[in-house]
Amino acid sequence: MSPAYVLKRIALICYTLFVVSLIVFAITQILPADAAVMLLGENATQEALAAVRERLGLDAPLWQQYLHWLGGVVQGDFGTSMRTGQPVGPALFEALGRSLLLALFSILLMLALALPLGIVAAIRRGRIADLVVGVISYIGVSLPEFVTATLLVLVLADWLQWLPATGYVPLTENFGRGLLHLVLPVLTVSLILIAHVSRMVRSELVDVLHTDYIRAARLKGLSNRTVLFKHGLRNALLPTITIVALDIGYLLGGVIVVEEIFALPGIGRQLIVAIQSRDLPSVQAGALIMATTYAIANFLADIAYAWLDRRIQYD
Amino acid sequence: MPTVDRRSFLAASAALGGLAISGLDVGAQTAPRRGGTLRVSVDQAVSKLNPLLTRVNPEYLVAELLYSGLTRLALDMSAEPDLAESWTNSADLLEWTFNLRKGVTFHDGSPCTAADVVASFEAILDAKTASPARQNVGPIAKIAAKDDSTVVFTLSAPFADLPVTLAYTNAKIVPAAVLKSGLEKLDREAVGTGPFKLVSFEPERQIVVTRNDAYYDKARPYLDRVVVVVYPDSTAEGSALIAGDTDLISTVPPTEFARISKASGVKGLRVASGQFCNVNFGCDQKPFNDVRVRQALALTVDRNAMVDFVTEGLGTVGNDVPLNSAYRFFADLPRKAPDLAKAKKLLADAGYPNGLEVTLIASDRPPLRTQLAVALREMAKPAGFTINVQTMPHATYLDQVWKKGSFYVGFYNMQPTADAIFALLYTSNAAWNETRWNNAGFDKLVNEARATVDEARRRDLYAQAQKLMHEEVPSIIPAFFDLLAAQRDWVEGYKLHPRGAVFRLDYVSLGAGAPKRG
Amino acid sequence: MTETFRRMLRSPQGALGLLIVGLILLVVILGPALAPYNPDTMAPLQRYKPPSAQFWLGTDQYGRDILSRLLNGARATVVLALIATGLGTLAGAMIGTVSAYLGGRADEAIMRTIDAVMSIPSLLMALLIVNLLGKSSLNAVLAIAIAFTPGMARVTRSVALAVRKQDYVNAAIARGESAGFIVWREMLPNVVAPIIVEMTIRVAFAVMLFATLSFLGLGAQPPASEWGLMVAEARRFMHLSPWMILWPSLAVALVAIGFNLLGDGLRDVLNPRT
Repeated sequence: MSPAYVLKRIALICYTLFVVSLIVFAITQILPADAAVMLLGENATQEALAAVRERLGLDAPLWQQYLHWLGGVVQGDFGTSMRTGQPVGPALFEALGRSLLLALFSILLMLALALPLGIVAAIRRGRIADLVVGVISYIGVSLPEFVTATLLVLVLADWLQWLPATGYVPLTENFGRGLLHLVLPVLTVSLILIAHVSRMVRSELVDVLHTDYIRAARLKGLSNRTVLFKHGLRNALLPTITIVALDIGYLLGGVIVVEEIFALPGIGRQLIVAIQSRDLPSVQAGALIMATTYAIANFLADIAYAWLDRRIQYD
Repeated sequence: MPTVDRRSFLAASAALGGLAISGLDVGAQTAPRRGGTLRVSVDQAVSKLNPLLTRVNPEYLVAELLYSGLTRLALDMSAEPDLAESWTNSADLLEWTFNLRKGVTFHDGSPCTAADVVASFEAILDAKTASPARQNVGPIAKIAAKDDSTVVFTLSAPFADLPVTLAYTNAKIVPAAVLKSGLEKLDREAVGTGPFKLVSFEPERQIVVTRNDAYYDKARPYLDRVVVVVYPDSTAEGSALIAGDTDLISTVPPTEFARISKASGVKGLRVASGQFCNVNFGCDQKPFNDVRVRQALALTVDRNAMVDFVTEGLGTVGNDVPLNSAYRFFADLPRKAPDLAKAKKLLADAGYPNGLEVTLIASDRPPLRTQLAVALREMAKPAGFTINVQTMPHATYLDQVWKKGSFYVGFYNMQPTADAIFALLYTSNAAWNETRWNNAGFDKLVNEARATVDEARRRDLYAQAQKLMHEEVPSIIPAFFDLLAAQRDWVEGYKLHPRGAVFRLDYVSLGAGAPKRG
Repeated sequence: MTETFRRMLRSPQGALGLLIVGLILLVVILGPALAPYNPDTMAPLQRYKPPSAQFWLGTDQYGRDILSRLLNGARATVVLALIATGLGTLAGAMIGTVSAYLGGRADEAIMRTIDAVMSIPSLLMALLIVNLLGKSSLNAVLAIAIAFTPGMARVTRSVALAVRKQDYVNAAIARGESAGFIVWREMLPNVVAPIIVEMTIRVAFAVMLFATLSFLGLGAQPPASEWGLMVAEARRFMHLSPWMILWPSLAVALVAIGFNLLGDGLRDVLNPRT
């Protein structure tokens, strides 16, 4: 992992963000409804529309609007929401914080469950435990978030009444209640992750356990436990990290739906609201922030991969 | 005073019906308890803080806490004093004089005088402001300050309802100085004369206001604080009330009403209202410029089933007239019932013996627009109508269909007066002339009624106008919604207002059992 | 082909996948004929009925029969997802193959751009596109196709790179064939098999994505009985009748599971290593 590699990766992130900013700007600029009409709604008279267009700079040529927007973004100014008249940045970053909390809890739960499940399934390959894990992971991978969420709400919130169905309470306001409200969203998001990662761990581990290297270790008389944890697992974890990094993109998409269903005011929900109300600055900023998050997560995963990879080689 | 068990008292008085409640309640009311924090939930974000630009009920709720108007709307839809203590009118109904309360100050300490009132109304009437109030406050030609506490409105046509229309949700008084420096300031701050002052404003999450000790009424408001919490999801909103996280839900959807009202410690609130969902015809375009086509479609509608479909039975049947018994000048015309044979004949007479295919547009907000459209589609099918339902985002709808389209679904709050709803939607010069019905006879009746003070004469004129609509069907109005809300038992003094956009939370107090909140 | 089929039947995943997908295709073809009622007919007196002998899966907010709606909605749900996947695969395969053929800096530039596009989550991408085009089933299909394109391009490129090194491609280049001929006639046919496997797995994603778009109100529109839309509509009535939301949810899940199993089965057969 040379500095040159890291620099190249950073340059790539910059390029990525540039492309994303272009795409997002292009898509949002040609949205069918006039932003000024959206802003004024039922009361739009021609004079009022013209005044608003001028105020928002909607009359300028597109490239000027783009450069103006990009210039603002680089300086950390994401513009002013058309819907609320508030600055876009702070609201979105606050929402991003809530989304990251959801993502963090989901990843923790995933790690706590997916690794043991994958390991058990690999060791007990072809037996009941393997089958059970396989079925669970199939169901997990195959259920869209809105179906998982619906079923969880029906069973855990409506029939058993163990958990609140939807809604959000900030942890700072009421820690216990806040956690309870997070349970269902976290379960929904992590189910797919668990399914995905446990399958990956299992198949990688199965492959590794069949390599000559492991056979040799076994022949040397090392205990199963040592073979598994010292040699097998570490090698199996490498590809898993890549998968987890890729899953973060998936996670971000899933978060949009989950936040919408559970009325959790994270960045996904903000984005949906912004898209539905044609609040262009919020849409642009939201999409850009999401893509940035993904790019950074990927970058970190790559670095971690390179770092772990080297350690393994030196072992 | 002998204590009456509050709950059984309320139940008894509710059973006596609307009129009895207001009469009895005054006698039984001990002085409301001061203090406490009320948490009230709303179902949409409060995007607009600027009171001149608010557009949806949650925004009206917040604006009402922070700002005052000249008048405000009582539960019976009459005007009662707010910043104006009293008013008089000239005999020809063309000049109205309002006497302002003295010594009222804005939240920033500056005095609220006639100059502020004049400036506020000038801003409202300026098209550039794009205030919804502009078309709804009445035919104001000129407004002038006679002295520091007297304002004179000169009208362009005689108008008997001015004190009521001045209570319009957007007709709030803001400081002249703020108007001069630019309206944008009001997007983030609140400088009003209302019963509460703004503490914090998070459009998507919550708005906190605290008691305005300088409010003109020394007794009100009773609460120290009001927290307006945004719950875009009705299930979450209901659960929060049931759990005691909130004290009051401002609007409960019909589908949740039964579940929420059943919960212990919770009381469902319901009031008949003139809020309705309708199907607008573009009366200036084919095929709906032919009155027979409109009549034919109206004859396919099973109105009782429609009340079930769109209101879950929590509403009243509509008769294609925008008034119902919640309005003072409602005329009870013969109920329309489905008659498919007659509908087919009318359609054939109009030149469509083989049926007619049309596209009905429904915006996606609120979802019951689509609900209505889908139900109409099926009801009209046997009479030969092929209705394609097309949904679209509300923004696109406003931009491309609304007021222009030939066939689309509308949705309205109850207005304070018959004149207000007619002049908003159905006269030729209506602010939102959705149907372009442009019926000269109807215009004449409405114009005459608005200049008439004599109650019986006015009632007769409005009855004729309603009969005309009943026959010509510029729009199908199949059902009216009852307004639904819910509160904890410990909330006292909250009355569900049939207007839908009026809340009067300054009359609310917290009784025994209310949780202590910081 | 028959050999593939036979081996598929031998793996439990493949057999189950074939069975489920077969059933689904049957419903897609025969659904409307099997439905006991007209899916749009309303019955004001039969609203929110739980499952019974008369209505096997119950009725919805208009008193419509849920089973009939599900059977009719299979076409909207499954066929459109298939089309979307097909379109996305086609576009992605073209881009990927061209990129691999060009090689060098052009390849690098195309792939980096594709990486960049892929950093927008596909659901978000689809959301943006549908909003741009206007919401309808057709636009949702396009949006999914576009959202799938970069991923498929990447997969195709890696396969095509291997093909590019093969002798017959070099031979064609040596013969002086045009670039179009080489990409179209020599390279594409040889990357098809792995792409089909990838595509089958993606159909499951497409079904989920399409249903999710409809769920968010951006795909199919009422009164269509697309399953995602049915779930979305049923949410408002969840406390009046949980059945309305349960059945279409399970139906979406079943389709996705079926295609996932089929894809995995196919991959095991065609590519035995994993």
